[in-house]
Amino acid sequence: MRRYELMAILDPAIDERTAGAALDPFLKVVKDDGGSVEKVDVWGRRRLAYDIQKKSEGIYAVVDLSAEPATVKEMDRQLNLSESILRTKVIRPEVH
Amino acid sequence: MAKPPPRKPKKKVCVFCQEKISYVDYKDTGLLRKFISDRGKIRARRVTGNCTQHQRDVATAIKNAREMALLPYTSTAR
Repeated sequence: MRRYELMAILDPAIDERTAGAALDPFLKVVKDDGGSVEKVDVWGRRRLAYDIQKKSEGIYAVVDLSAEPATVKEMDRQLNLSESILRTKVIRPEVH
Repeated sequence: MAKPPPRKPKKKVCVFCQEKISYVDYKDTGLLRKFISDRGKIRARRVTGNCTQHQRDVATAIKNAREMALLPYTSTAR
């Protein structure tokens, strides 16, 4: 088990209040594989420093979780497939 | 011709070593903005005064932040 930090930029078209719920199906992958989600922090709507997919805003969410490397890889793959996710980044904070 | 008096460069101390910060967080854009120019470029170590390790950490953090559109790659101020 390793600790990870996931940051995702969600499509600004979805409601800010449902942003946490929009991530649930992906976090379910972690939970089903024996990992745990420690914290979901939705920053809310934020201006992007540059346009992504022609959008100048995005909803930022930061998730702290611990899981197996393969599980996180699978979750990131699914996030990338989703149309409502503009961008993701998974890092391991304590490595640095 | 009299030579100008030799300038005494003030030795800068790395802010991260001073504050004992071991991990430079890429989400902390307020802090990282101090290390980029108004054009969005990463400031050199001789400008920031950071130590080798922390300058490297700052650069990595800025690059991560850029990927997530928290900081600009370029900004056309002027």
